[in-house]
Amino acid sequence: MKPSRLPLVTTILVLVFFYLPIAALVIRSFNASRYTPAWKGFTWKWYERLWEREDLLSALGNSLKIATAASLLSMVLGTTAAFALHRHRSRLQDFHSLMVRVPLVLPDILMGMSLLLLFVSAGVPLSLITITLAHVTFCLSYVALVVLARLEDFDFNVVEAARDLGATPLQAFAKITLPMLLPGILAGGLLAFTLSIDDYVITFFVKGPGSDTLPTLIYSMIKKSRELPVINALSTLMLAITFAVVFAAQRLTRKA
Amino acid sequence: MKRRHFLAASSAAVAFPFLPSCSKSGGGSGSKTLTVFTWADYLSDDAAASFEEKHGCKLVIDTFDSNEAMIAKLEAGATGYDVLVPSSYAVRQLQEKDLLQPLDRSLIPNTVNIDQDYLSRALDPEMTVSVPYMMAPTVLAYLKSKVGTPEPSWHLIERADLKGRITLLDDMREVLGAALKTLGHSFNSIDEAEVQAAADLAIEWKKNIAKFENEQWKTGIASGEFFLVHGYAGELILAQDENEDIEVVVPHEGAAFSCDDLCIPKTAKEVALAHAFINHLSDAAVAAENMEWIGYRAPNTAAYANLSEDFRGSPILFPPAELFAKCEPIAYLGDKLPIYTEAWDRVKNAS
Repeated sequence: MKPSRLPLVTTILVLVFFYLPIAALVIRSFNASRYTPAWKGFTWKWYERLWEREDLLSALGNSLKIATAASLLSMVLGTTAAFALHRHRSRLQDFHSLMVRVPLVLPDILMGMSLLLLFVSAGVPLSLITITLAHVTFCLSYVALVVLARLEDFDFNVVEAARDLGATPLQAFAKITLPMLLPGILAGGLLAFTLSIDDYVITFFVKGPGSDTLPTLIYSMIKKSRELPVINALSTLMLAITFAVVFAAQRLTRKA
Repeated sequence: MKRRHFLAASSAAVAFPFLPSCSKSGGGSGSKTLTVFTWADYLSDDAAASFEEKHGCKLVIDTFDSNEAMIAKLEAGATGYDVLVPSSYAVRQLQEKDLLQPLDRSLIPNTVNIDQDYLSRALDPEMTVSVPYMMAPTVLAYLKSKVGTPEPSWHLIERADLKGRITLLDDMREVLGAALKTLGHSFNSIDEAEVQAAADLAIEWKKNIAKFENEQWKTGIASGEFFLVHGYAGELILAQDENEDIEVVVPHEGAAFSCDDLCIPKTAKEVALAHAFINHLSDAAVAAENMEWIGYRAPNTAAYANLSEDFRGSPILFPPAELFAKCEPIAYLGDKLPIYTEAWDRVKNAS
């Protein structure tokens, strides 16, 4: 009996469904036409214009800075939270668990607005720092949940063994616990990075003068800009970066 | 023990100073910074550079993508902006919320350049809190190959042969306003009977159109999916440049002119510089260069003479006087708005 072709066909259909729109965008980024989807010749001009646009490049720089800082911070805080949630079961921890999960379902607009009100009432000037802090608040939850999942099948006997053999708590953590959890922490961090880099709603509310990120600038360009195809070019580049990041995340999780 | 250790380790890590630095404001030797909260790509590079040079300051552009989000942000207390560029109706809202400061006209001598014809119908004709910046009408665009070259009128929406190939903006004021204009009323009528009659007409339209649509009309007309679309002039003119089959028209009954205005929030720090910025953009030469770059019309009479013939000749941005006289800005209705929301609900729920 011949093996069924169905799984192969399904896989191809799913991939087409996922990636056809993206392919269209990539193709459009090389289309000389500004408006029509019809092909009017191959061009690099949108990429050239992109290179000349300091505002877009500085927004890209801002986005990368924020995403890096936010993912690093949330890796630390998220791991801490996951540890606390895993090691200590109590009423307080049930509440903690709830509080960690809530940002996942909280509407962005609510979070953005409340963070803005908080920053304003605390007298914190809006800047890249406020955006980073805001991103940490939701990235943290993702990291915590990813690390928590890894902790579920983490063998704490190994740590006990290290302590029995004379390791200090610090040594046991640095040489045993951390390396074993690292793939999970990094995967969570990469997830946080991608979430941070394309957040729009929360960022809009907590950004300050001169701290436009890519998403906020792009949303605004959609309204009045005559250079919209530059965004296709930029999206194509970002897509390449995202693919690279996701690929790296996959490799890291697979290894352990 | 373990727990205490972990907390200590992690709190040390939190203190890890890895926050992005935002203190890259070059110079610092007393050079001023003017922050403008505006739409992206809504100021030409030349206009920005000449202002920076003339006043020895740094211009920081921050962007928003909707008037409502911008207002919400300012209302919550966000500060740091010296000049805002909201749409006219949003200026009224900001004014009502007491977020704007009155303009000192003596610091903006170039306001004499502003188009009096437009100003007489503007929402802030005295320019007490705002100076008009850029405007463009809401128009119809169609494919000549499918529609022919009919008289430009809102009645095109009723043509049976275009059924299912038309989009109207999913915007209460734009659609009901167009219907009001078709019936010979003001775009901003607050007469309940007139608005209800407009809703009846809009319901007739709804039966003939494909959908109410705010995004797809641009590409829809360009790709030929739709034959007749209702949309904003700036983008449709660009589409027309690329596709000769597209014709953009201002319906002869009149249309809405949407205008964005320059204004100064109460919390502005560089008030004098903000006035200087508004004055700079109202300069005849700067305004002419700026409007050709953006592709909208700056209501600046002195600037019209500096425009290229091509741009000045656009029948859409510069409709003939008698047609322009029928165009109106969309007014802020305050507590009269429910007349429209009720009528619009009726349109949206009609089948």
